[in-house]
Amino acid sequence: MKRGELLGPLEHIILLALAHLDGGAHGMIVRREIEERTGRNISIGAVYATLERLEAKGYVSSFAGEPTPERGGRAKRLFRVEAAGKRALKVSEQTIRSMTAGLKGRWESI
Amino acid sequence: MRRNSPPALACWLLESVVPAPYREAMLGDLIEEYSLRVESTSPSTASRWFWSQACRSVPSMAWSWLRSRDCLMSMSIALGVYIVMEMSQLAANLTIARLVAPEPKTDVVLAPVVFLTRCAIGGCVAARIRRGAAIFLALMIMITAAVSIDLRLCTIPVPWWYSLGFFSLGPLAVVTVPVVFGVRAPGAAEPVK
Repeated sequence: MKRGELLGPLEHIILLALAHLDGGAHGMIVRREIEERTGRNISIGAVYATLERLEAKGYVSSFAGEPTPERGGRAKRLFRVEAAGKRALKVSEQTIRSMTAGLKGRWESI
Repeated sequence: MRRNSPPALACWLLESVVPAPYREAMLGDLIEEYSLRVESTSPSTASRWFWSQACRSVPSMAWSWLRSRDCLMSMSIALGVYIVMEMSQLAANLTIARLVAPEPKTDVVLAPVVFLTRCAIGGCVAARIRRGAAIFLALMIMITAAVSIDLRLCTIPVPWWYSLGFFSLGPLAVVTVPVVFGVRAPGAAEPVK
């Protein structure tokens, strides 16, 4: 991860979802994981557009699965977090922790 | 539409805008989830869900496609086909003027026929070369028609719907004729059955 380059909110959430789904997951599983954990109903298009961006940055990698009749003969594309993605998550977590330090008391009063 | 098949129009919409690397995977995911929802809820609820996913996915996928090389290639092909179409139009006009020597009124009748024919052929050629090129070609024709109407290039007085026909039916022919005749680029997926 380049210095100063932070993950976008959706990139962050999707990387975290993939980290939970260790070993590779396809777009719909990622979407379901986010919905179950956050209640956000994200479109599958937004998930794939973000996964494409993350793959271009080298944070995730993908590989093709077997086509099945339930999918209309279309193959799955399984994604997993790469070492660069784990580092990016760590940097983002550290940044958020640094920025939110000392704010807890103020938030409780809101 | 069969009971367990997803809405064909929504599938077509997604196939048109989703970039190649993830097209199959994304549609497969949606079809699989649709089948699960048909079993757990009802076909109409599952169809509504499928449509909502398709409509909400289009903006992000279209933006992603516009930023990709795939889009630039489609635009270049559309431009190439458009130039050939314009040259063929010029040749057709010269031929008609020399052989048929039309009166202005004859020209008013012949012009839409030649225009729609070349739009249909151009759309088929673009769609055969590359997926998405026909959409850019339709946009180019729409812009040209709008500019022609605005500049009042037609010197013969014609009703308003005549000009509007060029603006709407030309681009429509570019997009629909390849779909009607099943013209698609090599390697493009078959429509979902």
